[in-house]
Amino acid sequence: MNRLLLVLIALLLVLPTTISHSQTQDTPARQSGVVRLRARVKLTDSAPLRGLARKRFFLIPGSLEQNRALVDAIERQPLVTRDCYYTKNSASPALIAWLKEADCESVYCRDVEQDFIAGPKVVPEFATAFAASEKEFGNAATARKWLTTNVPANLRDGFYRDRKGAIDALLKQATQSTAVQSVMTDRNGTAFFTDLAPGTYVITNLVPTEVGQTLATWNCELQIKTDDLAAEKAYLISNRKDRLVKCVAIEKPAPPCQ
Amino acid sequence: MNTILKASVFVCVCLWPVYGAVDYTKFSHSTPKHKSACNTCHKIPTKDWTKASAFPDITDYPDHDACVSCHRPQFFRGARPPICSVCHVKTSPRDEARFAFRNPASKLQFTIEFPHDRHQDVIALRQTNAWRSNLLAHAAPQQNFNNCTLCHAPALAVATPPAGGWLDSYAPPAATFKAAPSDHSSCFSCHWKSQEPVATNCNGCHKLAAPYTAAAMPTRISLKFMHDGGGEKKQHVAECTTCHINITKSATLRGLKPDVPITSCTECHNKDGLRQDLNTELAALDKNRAFTCVYCHTSNVGKLDAPASHYLIAQRPPLKRRDIK
Repeated sequence: MNRLLLVLIALLLVLPTTISHSQTQDTPARQSGVVRLRARVKLTDSAPLRGLARKRFFLIPGSLEQNRALVDAIERQPLVTRDCYYTKNSASPALIAWLKEADCESVYCRDVEQDFIAGPKVVPEFATAFAASEKEFGNAATARKWLTTNVPANLRDGFYRDRKGAIDALLKQATQSTAVQSVMTDRNGTAFFTDLAPGTYVITNLVPTEVGQTLATWNCELQIKTDDLAAEKAYLISNRKDRLVKCVAIEKPAPPCQ
Repeated sequence: MNTILKASVFVCVCLWPVYGAVDYTKFSHSTPKHKSACNTCHKIPTKDWTKASAFPDITDYPDHDACVSCHRPQFFRGARPPICSVCHVKTSPRDEARFAFRNPASKLQFTIEFPHDRHQDVIALRQTNAWRSNLLAHAAPQQNFNNCTLCHAPALAVATPPAGGWLDSYAPPAATFKAAPSDHSSCFSCHWKSQEPVATNCNGCHKLAAPYTAAAMPTRISLKFMHDGGGEKKQHVAECTTCHINITKSATLRGLKPDVPITSCTECHNKDGLRQDLNTELAALDKNRAFTCVYCHTSNVGKLDAPASHYLIAQRPPLKRRDIK
């Protein structure tokens, strides 16, 4: 009797799983859309258009109107440039120049080569960190590889963390914050949003991107129609108007450092 | 009272073989008493790390103190206490030899929590020199095409054959796969201290899980694709996001699928005047519905229905094998 009961319970537990699996296999795959985002910018009017590399963009379900609170918050947020952040945090001009040279937000973004630890191109923060690392790890090779472990937090990645904090706070105001997609552009300024259901979306960079001497913010509405599901939908954004450009950035001059 | 006592003793004696027998040859981090702070047992770095590592690391098992504090009875049970075999190759007081740390033969007990997108954010830049890639153990100097190679260098070792051997006798060459970090060298270089999760915060990355064996190699639909392939010119070597279009979306390693759309392949492999690899196989399938697609796939995949995406590229309506005359 007891054994029969156990078998019944086991069947009850197993049956729904089996049914749901067979249903999943028989259901045709849901068609979804793909947006091929291309971000191309001009640093000045006379400069050529170039891909906006390594920048994060967000695709937020809902229209601009439905995400009004978010869009207002994006437009209201204080603008702080990378140079101003690092200047305010007493970074040396050499460190600011090192970051700027490769458009880096933090010290993690590129190698700290020997030239920047000693010699005419020395970055004082790196030289100090290297000396501390050498003392701590006992050899020059590890000291250089692990140099960033001895750079103060505010100069190491404070700017990135501030921006990440601002992004996280803004995303909470999106109408469907859990359905937000985020992608980063490649070196040509291209990125893909995939698995999109038909509907209206807002495409945005949430926090302004430094483009030359200006800060560019994109907040545009994008429609995915049923017809768009068969092939990828190209979507060009820029800081200059053009017939192919679907979304033009609102540019503001970089504010002076306070 | 006496009856209750007797009943309790009876229950304990009867159930002891089932619930009470502990296998001291097996160590589990899931045991409640083993769940205290990691540095209760693991010293970070290990005292003599320089003997085993080029960088400060956890290179050995905890000292005896970590076990003896609770397991004194098991330590001194007989001439060959079973508990010794957790770390020691031989259970003999005269032999100190230990298994490699961690023991590759034992199952993994932790998964890794890793915010993939955040790491891409901070290191996302085309690299111009090789030294940072060499942080990875065994990583040979190679083309630093972009930031991904910081962690994902070409695999140098050939994948271990699965039980039962390679399907279709196709053994993927080492150049098929990219490597992923397998030790602390690529983590501690930034997370040694002050940048959380720091080295002493093991739980920041290692999450306790049901014991599992790591897959010998990644699951692949197109096993015959080689990352470092593409002919003599190695035309497959491109920016990673050119094909892995979803990779910058992922906030975690869980469910991270490096899925590649077929358009990434057919840009070259099904282009007029260049190659017709997809069209050729679809044509062969038209003639013989039992045809197995082999250019990209091994037979486990190649004998399935070609997906609609493949027919879409060939500008044809999708077909099931059963509908092919």
